[in-house]
Amino acid sequence: MEKKRVLIVEDAAYMREMLAEMLEQEKDRYEVVDFAVNGKEAVEKYKELKPDLVTMDLAMEVMDGLQAIKEIKVYDPNALIIAITALGTPEQKNAALDAGAGEYLWKPFTIKNLFDALEKLQRNGEE
Amino acid sequence: MESTRTKRRDHRLLILSFASFACVILALYFASIGTTIVYTHLFYIPLILAGMWYKKKAVYLALLLGAAHIFITLSYIPLSAAILMETSERALMFVVVSYAIGFVSDKWAKGEEKLKETTDYLDNIIKSSADAIVVVDTDGTVRSWNKAAEDNMGYTADEVIGTTNTKFFAVPEEAERIMKIVQREGELKNYRTTVLNKAKKPVHISMSAALLKDKTGVPIGTVRVSRDVTKEEELEEKIKDERDNLDLILESMADGVYIVSKDYKVEFMNKVLIDVFGYHVGEVCYKVFHNRETPCPRCKNTEVMKGKTVRWEWYSHREDRTYDLFETPLRNINGTISKLTIFRDISDRKRMEDELRDAEERYRVIFEHALTALCVIEHGEVVSLANKEFETLSGYSREKIEGKKWTDFIADEDMERVQNYCEERRKGEAPACCEFKFVSCNGEIKHVNAWIEPIPGANRCIASLLDITELKRKEEELRETCERLTELDKMKRDFLNVAYHEMRSPLAPIVGYASLLESCKLPDKGRRYLYNIEQSAKELDMMINRMLQLATIDGKKIDLILEEVALHEVVQEVVKSVGPGVKKKNQVITTAVPEIEVQADKEKIAAIFSNLISNAIKYTEEGGRIDVSVEEREDDIKACVADTGMGIPEDHLPYIFERFYMVDTSLTRKPGSLGLGLSIVKEYVKLHGGKVWATSEPGKGSNFFFIMPKRQR
Repeated sequence: MEKKRVLIVEDAAYMREMLAEMLEQEKDRYEVVDFAVNGKEAVEKYKELKPDLVTMDLAMEVMDGLQAIKEIKVYDPNALIIAITALGTPEQKNAALDAGAGEYLWKPFTIKNLFDALEKLQRNGEE
Repeated sequence: MESTRTKRRDHRLLILSFASFACVILALYFASIGTTIVYTHLFYIPLILAGMWYKKKAVYLALLLGAAHIFITLSYIPLSAAILMETSERALMFVVVSYAIGFVSDKWAKGEEKLKETTDYLDNIIKSSADAIVVVDTDGTVRSWNKAAEDNMGYTADEVIGTTNTKFFAVPEEAERIMKIVQREGELKNYRTTVLNKAKKPVHISMSAALLKDKTGVPIGTVRVSRDVTKEEELEEKIKDERDNLDLILESMADGVYIVSKDYKVEFMNKVLIDVFGYHVGEVCYKVFHNRETPCPRCKNTEVMKGKTVRWEWYSHREDRTYDLFETPLRNINGTISKLTIFRDISDRKRMEDELRDAEERYRVIFEHALTALCVIEHGEVVSLANKEFETLSGYSREKIEGKKWTDFIADEDMERVQNYCEERRKGEAPACCEFKFVSCNGEIKHVNAWIEPIPGANRCIASLLDITELKRKEEELRETCERLTELDKMKRDFLNVAYHEMRSPLAPIVGYASLLESCKLPDKGRRYLYNIEQSAKELDMMINRMLQLATIDGKKIDLILEEVALHEVVQEVVKSVGPGVKKKNQVITTAVPEIEVQADKEKIAAIFSNLISNAIKYTEEGGRIDVSVEEREDDIKACVADTGMGIPEDHLPYIFERFYMVDTSLTRKPGSLGLGLSIVKEYVKLHGGKVWATSEPGKGSNFFFIMPKRQR
């Protein structure tokens, strides 16, 4: 089975590393293609690398995650993006889903939560 | 000679007798026509003849005595003696007869003469009198009867003169009685009696009589003047009836009425007075009414007796009562004047007047010292009265306020509004209160609350103004404070939202790396450490979650995301999630939830059960028991989470659903509790239109109940 290429968008370095470490646990299925530290960079890197999946933090400087999701979706309507945020309000969740995120993950999350969400995102994308 | 003398003597005797006889006849005649002077002297003719023929000396003596007149009758004695000495028995007989007749006629003629003189004297008066004038002599024989008497009695003078007067009286003894009175008293005045006229009908008369005496003072008769008073008596009767009627009226009057005579004798007092004072007719008024020994100093008797009508007010200190007196003269039948007094006890009226004055004074004081500014407005324009507070409010003195236009006190921009309000108040339509800007003396604007109340029955109203300038200022301050606080509250909420978010961010790597560590090779000790880290992180996450939930509730209105929720599934999930805690404390948890679906927000229903069950676990000792049950009812469900824990003291029960409320705030309290769980439960149940409550028996356990409708409206 082909490895899924994942773009990690996170402004906090320890979070970027943690996500990479988690994906390393399933290295047969996922590989990290690159990191982006803000929305703007995320959009640029998405266009450049065309990853299969994106983990997108919502609270970031320069360009926030919601805006980035929208722009990526404009570029590639089929993009599979998982929104990650600490702000667990229903409004925030709905805003992310409306912007085009396929899944939504609350901080804090365990490794299990992450892979469940990724699986779900891919299943939804195939349907 | 002897024989010649005797012959001559016989001849002379015959002449003498004849002369005597003629003189007696003449005397009788003159006596009958009342000329006594003439006939008295007639007797001298035979006397002179006898003297010339028989004894000149005796004749002269007789003449002498006759001249003395008074002794006229005595003169016959020597004359008779002279004749006796020289003549026969027949001559003596003639002289004796002459003497006797002369004596009788003289006496009779004398009386006749006096009476005749009186009669002559009165004749003219009597004839023209309207009153009946009758002369009755001492025997009761009528001697005179005038025209008026004829008219009154129906008898003519011819019919009654010379007859007795007894027959005229209804009671015959009356004639005798009257005569006696007149003889005793010398007169009789206004004597009332009843006589019978010719037709035997009674006639009421008033009689006055006087005694007639001769020159020597011997009573010779009475003259009686009588007036027919039948009509008068009828009138008197009528007047008496009228008086009786008047008395009846006076009797029934509610006012006190009494009549007193000129000498203060009470002649009448009506029932009202008798009830108060008792019956005292005949006694003196000042004694009866005032218990005084002398007439009252303010008595109006003298004035009234002069014909004046007076009205005055009398205050009795003794009784502490006030009377309104009306006093007027009252003419009696007998011509005297009495004083009629009508008096009314006006103490009650006076008292009412006093009370009215008191009440007015009271209201004036209230008006004057009221804490609101009060003024009376005439015809909706002019201020006619203002109180002290109005002076304070307006800054004008009272003299300047009264007479000022009401509109001068109203700011221009409020004028129309206030006038509309006044107009509507007059119609009774507008609300009682109107706020406007009041212009005081130096143009300073004050905010007032005004009540305008029309005064019934007059085109005026009373305005009550409350200075709310200070209140307005405070209100403004309060509003500003409130705004600032709201602002602060929003800032705080925003801050907390950010803070909760920022707190979660560092939690993410803790939880994340811990989960990564699980797959690493770790010594048993390390694995135990990891477990503790994970549990702590989880608890911290839960607390932050709750705070976030509450912050969301506070911040804005929450819309429920409604869906069909299978209650038993939600409960199972919650029970499963708390499973490790239950297991750790060796507790037993049972569920009895019917397989029903309700319309609700799934996340919130889950939060409700989660909070209740977590609480139960937390406050129940190891080995305890927790029972979760749901009862389906007609329109709603009733859920219960029961535990066998420490329970809640009764005095805390009403407050446990309050935010941040903690039964135990000491350091020994249960860890991991911010007092938020139950308040979230309460808010979420409320959002679903339900309610929550708890019962507890300290030491035995608590029961938490909530009900919520199956369908949301």
